[in-house]
This record gives sequence, structure tokens and C-alpha cells, in this order.
Amino acid sequence: MFIFKNAWISIKRNKGRNILIGIIILIIACACTITLAIKNTAVDLIQSYKSAYDKEVTIGFNRENMMKDFDPSQEEGRTNARERFDNIASYTISDVEKFADSKYIDSYYYTYGVGLNGNNIEKAEIESNNDMPNGFGHGKGNNFSTTDFTLTGYSSLDAMSEFINGTYTMNEITDNAWDVAFDGNYVFINQELADYNELHLNDKIQLKDDDGNTYEFEIIGIFKENEEEGQTMSMFSNSANALVTNANAVNSIVSGNENLKGDLYPTFIIDSYDHVEKLQDEFYEKGLDENFVLQSNEELALSGVSSIQNINSFATTFLILTLIIGGVVLFVINMINIRERKYEIGVLRTIGISKLKLTMQFVSELAMVAVVALILGAGIGAVSSKGISNSLLANEINSSNERVEEIGKNFGNDGGMPNRGDRGEMRGKGMPVVQAYDSIDAVVDIKVLVELLGIGLSLVLVSSIASMVSIQRFSPLTILKERS
Amino acid sequence: MMANKKKENSPKNILLSIQNASYRYSDAVADDYALKDISFDFESGKIYAIRGRSGSGKTTLLSLISGLEKCSEGEIIFDGKSLKDMNLDKYRNSDIGIVFQSYNLLPFMTAAENIILSMDANGLKIKNKKEKAIELMEKVGLKDGFADRKVLRLSGGEQQRVAIARSLSYNPKMIIADEPTGNLDKQTESEILDIFQKLAHEENKCVIIVTHSQNVCDSADVVFDLKKVKEK
Repeated sequence: MFIFKNAWISIKRNKGRNILIGIIILIIACACTITLAIKNTAVDLIQSYKSAYDKEVTIGFNRENMMKDFDPSQEEGRTNARERFDNIASYTISDVEKFADSKYIDSYYYTYGVGLNGNNIEKAEIESNNDMPNGFGHGKGNNFSTTDFTLTGYSSLDAMSEFINGTYTMNEITDNAWDVAFDGNYVFINQELADYNELHLNDKIQLKDDDGNTYEFEIIGIFKENEEEGQTMSMFSNSANALVTNANAVNSIVSGNENLKGDLYPTFIIDSYDHVEKLQDEFYEKGLDENFVLQSNEELALSGVSSIQNINSFATTFLILTLIIGGVVLFVINMINIRERKYEIGVLRTIGISKLKLTMQFVSELAMVAVVALILGAGIGAVSSKGISNSLLANEINSSNERVEEIGKNFGNDGGMPNRGDRGEMRGKGMPVVQAYDSIDAVVDIKVLVELLGIGLSLVLVSSIASMVSIQRFSPLTILKERS
Repeated sequence: MMANKKKENSPKNILLSIQNASYRYSDAVADDYALKDISFDFESGKIYAIRGRSGSGKTTLLSLISGLEKCSEGEIIFDGKSLKDMNLDKYRNSDIGIVFQSYNLLPFMTAAENIILSMDANGLKIKNKKEKAIELMEKVGLKDGFADRKVLRLSGGEQQRVAIARSLSYNPKMIIADEPTGNLDKQTESEILDIFQKLAHEENKCVIIVTHSQNVCDSADVVFDLKKVKEK
């Protein structure tokens, strides 16, 4: 009680200094409230956006490993790289099943693709040499580019990402299509191919490999590819010659002909992006060739919230800078305060007030001012955080859009990013994407207030270090002698 | 050491005993002692004057007695306990009262507030501390009207009386005063000395005064001459 009473007397006595300290803490509290509200809300938004995506990992080539010691100017180097590429041990469906037996994996699916020629059908006349559907053509050993058709087998409905994301929609389908789709020789074909060859539901098509083996499939559905807005009518469908079946059908074709190589693309749904590296090590232990690596969709999952991430980073940096500058200013003010009150300390020590009590008095003085300033700062911050955060986000989105337009102009397109045909909209390093959120509801909740209280108390303690050290070091007699 | 004993109390009622105390500043060379091998006993109910030339160690002795410094060698026993074993903050705010030449009052407080501050430091639990402060001020010759005055508006003599009242606020057994009349005129000096006389002889307190003043030495029961000790 004595400590608080004395602290209160000192606060009243040094009104000017304490008002100055209060204003500084108020500014810090206000800035911290706003940045904490933005930061916490941004983190929640990012988390919820990430959770809306399945956490997926796929197997891709470790290009860095493969290009090691590769010297394109030397014939030997080129040969070595080719040999290394040919010697990579591929994986099979049973390998994938083995990999999937992991505590980090919730579920998995895969697509199995193979290139075949038509026996009783002709490929659709398209102007491009590249007739591969999205997601194909970058695997090892595929021979799609030399064949008429790509037969893609899916392991389950989950694997049919083109239908899930709306790239393909079914035009016609037999009554029992989904009952038989994942077992047996059934296909879904593109409307363009159907029109071109005058094919209908329940018709049978024949495909053949280079060795002359033929495979018959019954048409159980006809789909169309949805063109993206802005695509010109002269553009052809990417999937005209894509045939969709089940993975078992493709597996039976590939396993029955050793000259035929299929492309197997497994996708594993994992519990956390943090486990990708551990999972990769586990895959290596289970026999995955080290020329493969696991690739997650984390970057894609975050692409829609890049502006919010930028705001989050800005808020974090601003918070740290505010605390450092505020802490230093408060520390200096406290140091001056202590020097000015040396005599008072000497008198109080002489009349028997312990160093601990005296230190507590000085800390209490600052804490009392800080509590009032923190309450006011939190109030002002709560009122202004939503407006400021939305203004920051709007600026960030505007600058993203301006970057898109600038890059678009570089390609001679005033309307924004050019479309790269089969590879979709150009995205990549530094390329902004459409934002998932155009506003951020930065709320000052109990979490923000607790964090603010923690910051406030830490600031008080850090800036009181000057008084703590000085009180420990001051000799009351020396102080009073100096005064005399 | 040499002491001029003017009065004898029998039997001896020793409150404070200095036993072979020496003090050397931390930055001093090996044999450069500010005080060396001092031994003396202080009894309740007496006034002691410690005199000596500047640099003779008067203030050092006072700071050892008041627990503001610790002996380099030897020890000081208060009421049967070594200061080494005591909480010196507690010792200063309950067992002894200290009065300085320059009063050492807090200028931003009133006379009463300075006294109440000392009561608070002691943890004294009384209902009306201001009333007690006024009572103490009256005891040292200050009227009620002084209580609410800022100490800077008081004269030197009045400030010294407030300082004495502050030192009495928790009824200590011993009063230690460092040149308490050094800044005062003869008349005021005499009045202050009367207060110390009463405290020693009527309230049985041990009063130790460090001084240059012959008047103070004359009014003391025992004079402890540090100058003579050093010369000896």
C-alpha cells in the first residue's frame, strides 16, 4: 500500500513527465492494438483459407539432383545425364500403396496415363502438335506426344480433379456410369471427339499400342471442356483427344506390355505441411528413388491470400519496430527520471525504505501510467483497426493489380496477364493472383487484449531496468553528500 | 581513543557498542583507513558528541552507526545484536532516527507529509497519522500551522525541527545527528539542543551528534574526540 501511495504521489507531482510517458505508451498501445488485430485476423484468414484446401503432396523430379555434374557442352555430360534419367527407378501402384501407409497420410489417389493410337476412331483435327491434357506430358517415359490419344485412368472420384474443379463437365452419361466407371474398360470421351467420329453413349471404341495390341472400351459418358472467359473462339479444346477411364484399366494395359510405359501420378492428402520433409524421408526409406522429391500445394493454397500475407508481414515488422523504438524512448525517459530523482532516492533509502520497495515504487509509477495509456490505446486501436486494415489491404490489392497490368503490357496485352493456352493463366514467381479476400475484419478480441497487456508489462519492465539498476547501485550517503 | 566523560550512569545501560571497528573505502590503498580500531559504548539516556577535524572520519563513523556503511573490520552491536546480522533497512526505519545537517526532507512534500512518509516506511499502524505528525511537530516547537506547508517555505531551523520530528515518528531508541546545528544561528542552535537534551534525559533516548560546534560539545554528556584519537 505504501508503495502504491508513494507512486501515486510521485505521478501527481511529475505530471508533465508522466503525461509524456502516457502519450508515448498510448501511441505504442494504439499501434500494437491495430497491428495485433490485423496480424491475428490475417493469421486466422490464412489458416481458414489453407484449411479449405486439401493438403496435398505429389511426387516430382528432383531436377537439382538430376542436373548435378551435368555439362551440356560436353557429350559425355549429356550422355551421363541421359543415362541417369533412364536409370531412375520408377514406382508402381503397389509402391504407391506402400508409401501411403504412413501416419502422416490421411488418404490418397492417383491417375495413371498412357498414350495409345486409335483403331476404329480418328483423333480430332486440332491445330496444335501438343494435344495433351492439363497435368500431363511432364512425366518420365511417357510416349503421349507420338500417340493419337491419351488414356487417363483415375483411381477414384477424388482423383478426377478436372471434373471437381469444373474444367470438364459431363454432357451425357449412361444410367449406370458411376457404378462401373472404376472397374472395367469404360471411357468418358470429349464431345468434340464424339462429334468428330460420330460416337454416342454405349458405342465401343478400339485403341491400339505400337505393338498392334488392341483394347476395346465402351463409352459411358461424354464431357465437354469449359473454356475460360476471354478465350477466343479460334482456340481449340485442350482435351479433345483425352480419354478418361479408371486406373485399373490403364494398369492392365501397361502391365501386359513391357514396351508400354505409363505415367503414374499419385496424390497424397497429408495431415500437415510441416510433415512433408519427414514424409519424404519415409518414402526414401520405403524405396522411392532419390531423384524424386515430394512437392506440396502449400504455395498454391496460399496464393489467394498473398495480399493478406503481405499485410501480416507488414504488421509484424511494424509491431517489432514500434516496440523497439517505444522501448528505447521509454528507457531513456526513465533514465533521465532516475537521475533527476536521485536525491529523493537517497532520502528514502536513508529513512529505511528498502531497495526492493523503492524499485517496486518506480515500476508501479510506470505501470499505473501504462495501464491507463494501454486502456485508452486499446480503445482507439479497436475503433480504428478495421478501417486501417482494410485501407492497407486495398492498397496492397491495388498494387498487385498494377503489377499484373504492367507485366501484361510487357507482353503487349493491355488487359492483363496473357493466357498461355494449355498451361492456363501465367502464374509464377512474383506473379500476383486473384485475391480470395478483398476485406479484412480486424477485430480486437480478448486474445489481442491479452497480448497487448503482455507487451505493456514487458515494456514497463524493460524500460524500468534503468531505475532498477540505478537503485541497486546508488549509495544514499554519497547522494546526500553530493546534494549537500 | 579518548572520551571526556561528564556524567556517569550507573548501572551501565549500553545500547550501542562499537568494537574494534575499522573502515576503509573500497578504492583506498591497503593501509589507508578512514577509521581504524575504534571501540566505544553508547548508553541510553545520554547525549554523545563526536567531534574532530574535517577528514577525521566523523561522518564515516556516523554512517557505520546508522548502517549506511558496513565495517571493514570489527563490529557494531546494537541492543545486543550485531548490525551484520540485522536488516539494516528495518534498523534505520525502526531502531534509529537520523538527522542531517542539510535536513534531507523531500521538498515537494509538506512538513506533515515528510513525517508521515517516515511512519509509512516503518509500517506504523495508527489511525490518524497526520494528527501524530502534528503532535510530533509541536513537541519540537512547531505550531499546527506548519503541518501543511511545503518544506521549502520553512526556515532552516524549522526544517531541522521537522527533520527531528520525522526521526521521532516511530519512537526510535537512538537519534543520530550529523551537524544538526551547522546551518543554524546561535539562538536556534540552542533551541535544537534543548530538544535533544529532553529526548535524552526525559525520554531515555541515546543521542549521538557529530559536530564541530563547541556549544554542542558543551551540552553533551560525553564527547568523543576523533581528532585526539588520530593524533594519538
